[in-house]
Amino acid sequence: MKIIRIIVQIGVLYVFFLAGEFLQKQLQLPVPGSIVGLLLLFALLLLKIVPVKMIEEGSSFILAYLPMFFIPATAGIMNHLDMFSGRGLLLIGILVVSSVITMAVTAHSSEWIASRSKALGNRRTFVPLIRSKKEKEA
Amino acid sequence: MNVLLALVFILLSVGVYLLMSMLYKRYRLPVLLPALTATFTLVVLLLGLHISYETYMIGGEWINRLLGPAVVSLAYPLYKQRHVLWQNLPAVLGGTFTGLLVGMFSGLLLALWFGFSKMYVLSVLPKSITTAVAIQISGNLGGDASLTSVFVMIAGFTGAIGGPYIIKLFRIRGESGIGIGLGTASHALGTAKALEYGERAVSMSSVAMTVSAIVGSIVGPVAAWMLYH
Repeated sequence: MKIIRIIVQIGVLYVFFLAGEFLQKQLQLPVPGSIVGLLLLFALLLLKIVPVKMIEEGSSFILAYLPMFFIPATAGIMNHLDMFSGRGLLLIGILVVSSVITMAVTAHSSEWIASRSKALGNRRTFVPLIRSKKEKEA
Repeated sequence: MNVLLALVFILLSVGVYLLMSMLYKRYRLPVLLPALTATFTLVVLLLGLHISYETYMIGGEWINRLLGPAVVSLAYPLYKQRHVLWQNLPAVLGGTFTGLLVGMFSGLLLALWFGFSKMYVLSVLPKSITTAVAIQISGNLGGDASLTSVFVMIAGFTGAIGGPYIIKLFRIRGESGIGIGLGTASHALGTAKALEYGERAVSMSSVAMTVSAIVGSIVGPVAAWMLYH
């Protein structure tokens, strides 16, 4: 029984994906249909139009195997094996370095904003740009 | 005949993936990430058996089609974590936006610095954005869509495999920060990795991935225009 529910729920997710694709084409949106579908489902969940129960098991199932769905797409790298020689290696280095910087900067800037907005919310007064060490620890 | 072939390739992909995720669960080494090891094994098998990617995709396409609903299913952890999301909205949006700019410009400047041609620079530009959006941006700007899809993958694997090391090296502590960082730098592959850090990290990561896809499709063309106008 659970298997049937999972299959039906994946069908529901598929319908949202198709609806996202449709909206994307009709409205000429710059983002892909799958992301439009995600936002659509999220909105309908928030508005309680779609009950969570309707997608809970299907989503959990897909998410448990998420990396598997990328494999056919990533295997496409076999048509670009020349990337792994000569100047291609330099390019790979650039991509790796840039991605490492991106992740580190993103994580720290978001945590910095989080700590500042918390401080603002607590005091509701002027927060100096440079805080003393004691304040930071508090 | 094609149906049989499709079935064989589907079973092969699923089998290789399950085997590799068993290996990963056993040893827990970041380099054994199933998305990487399964892709590697599959590519070696296909090359060894002289099967072209196009032939493999007769079956592979069926798994690929589930990528759409798989992205949609990220709405579920997002919904479950909605309260955390509202509380942290400035941090999520601010971090993602900063990271997106840093990601685009660092890749762009490095590629320019090493003297890569316009076509390569423009193909590098959207690398931190999820594939479907990145190839659209790249194609529209005059980059090469298939090169971009490989670059997107490399950016994805950097976060998915290097993530644990980056977290240690740069002392990233909060689960939210980890999620936002993974989603912004490494899109869906990063989000799949974020699953290992908990529900909060996944939902933050999927928000970051979504926001950077939306913002990136606007900022990307602007950055290219600034550079080559």
